Amino acid sequence: MNLIRDVLDKQVLDRDQKKLGKVDGLVLVFGKGPPRVAFIEMGSVVLARRLGPRFGRVVARFCTFLGGEGAGEPYRVPWSKVKDVGIDVEIDLAIADTPLDDWQEWLRKKLLRRKARA
Amino acid sequence: MKKIFEISLAIVTSIGGFLEIGSLSTAVQAGVGFGFQLTWAIVLGTICVIFLVEMAGRFAAVSHHTIPDAIRERFGFNFFVIAFLTVAIVNFLVLSAEIGGVGLALQFATGVSYQWWAIPVAFAAWLLLWKGTFGLIEKGVSLLGLITLCFVVAAILLGPSWKEVGAGAIPTLPDHDRAHYWFLCVSILGASISPYLFFFYSSGAIEDKWDKSYLWPNRIIAVLGMSFGGTIAVGALIVAAMVFRPRGIEELSALYPVALILTPQFAFWGFVLVTASIGIACFGAALELALEQAYLVAQGFGWNWGEDLPPASDPGFNLVHTAAVFLSALPIAAGLDPFKLTNFSMALTAASLPVSVVPFLFLMNDEVFVGEFRNGWFGNAGVLFVIALGFVLAVVTIPLQVFGS
Repeated sequence: MNLIRDVLDKQVLDRDQKKLGKVDGLVLVFGKGPPRVAFIEMGSVVLARRLGPRFGRVVARFCTFLGGEGAGEPYRVPWSKVKDVGIDVEIDLAIADTPLDDWQEWLRKKLLRRKARA
Repeated sequence: MKKIFEISLAIVTSIGGFLEIGSLSTAVQAGVGFGFQLTWAIVLGTICVIFLVEMAGRFAAVSHHTIPDAIRERFGFNFFVIAFLTVAIVNFLVLSAEIGGVGLALQFATGVSYQWWAIPVAFAAWLLLWKGTFGLIEKGVSLLGLITLCFVVAAILLGPSWKEVGAGAIPTLPDHDRAHYWFLCVSILGASISPYLFFFYSSGAIEDKWDKSYLWPNRIIAVLGMSFGGTIAVGALIVAAMVFRPRGIEELSALYPVALILTPQFAFWGFVLVTASIGIACFGAALELALEQAYLVAQGFGWNWGEDLPPASDPGFNLVHTAAVFLSALPIAAGLDPFKLTNFSMALTAASLPVSVVPFLFLMNDEVFVGEFRNGWFGNAGVLFVIALGFVLAVVTIPLQVFGS
């Protein structure tokens, strides 16, 4: 598998085929033997880091200011949760198990006055 | 039978959806300033957009990806950001110009200045986007856009020398005002080869669930829909040349005289037809542009998207088109002249072409995405030509904007 071509920037789907976001980054672990993929990373902080480390730090501080401690860190999905890599990357998680949809959930509740996600 | 009906409807909607503030304004200015001499620019722009629209549809039908989505996947986030910002800024300005166009049509009809209409028009567009479906926006509004065929009818009734019109389809140098001639040429190409047009088309193919069985329909829709659409723009150019030039008008500094362009043929109904044409065509384009802004963001960042989904399923997508339509109304509400904004945004569209067209060359030859349906030599020659044209336009646009606008 060519990680850059086949995985990075691909669409991520949850176990119910809902769109979660894109594969914004990959975390490799170097040990004995060849490097292995430990996590896929998602979120605006990862994207900002790809544009430059300084910009990444600014965005991380801004996310922490808005969302509190932890919001300035990327969301990591263990590679063991990746079910399939094809046209899209499918993971064995539900969107509700992740913080990636929180801001859209906020829009649902505050602006659309819909019931919170089950 | 169902597919034939779908193809016919798609061709008709492509025709009805072709004309908007940019193509109308640039065609009329070309006719007023240079008679039939700039017909070739409309023909060239239409041929280029046929190539790109066919490819955008083929790409979506085969790969089940839209163009912005694939740009992110194939070229990575850093290139995507450049393409994203460029297209989003151009779309913002063009959307603003379209809202101004609807405002102008309402000004013709009511006498109330266009700037007072900007927010109500934005609200009407938002309401339709919020409540409507993709089919209603794509087919309903575009079908109403068939009213723009009045320019073709008027052109035929005026009885131009078709030999002279045909001669205008071959590029020639003007004998006066060269900078203005080339500026109009660039603006016509910018209006014809709008990135939003082929990006939106690829999103529409996904919304309509196209698969490989749509490859031939796609080809027919691209060729016939865009050709007939281009014919309407040529019709507007002919009418402008034959109505204004004999009356000594050889340059436009505002769109107001356009309100009377059809009155020699249709009297009062000519005024009604022009007003309705501008209003409907610009409103349809505004809806498509606002949606395209939302598609661009949602597809680039992997959010849930779809005009047919209820807003609660994709609130981020809905937030973007809501913000796009209201923010774009602000410059017009503040009094920015839609005519000047149109000229500026069409030239800027032309200057931005390399960023939106270069990815086509790679995507349409990528086996991972399009497999056996990748471009042949003819398709690649077409894209290479548009890319070369895009680079030339990118270089000459700013000097021409200064000296020719």
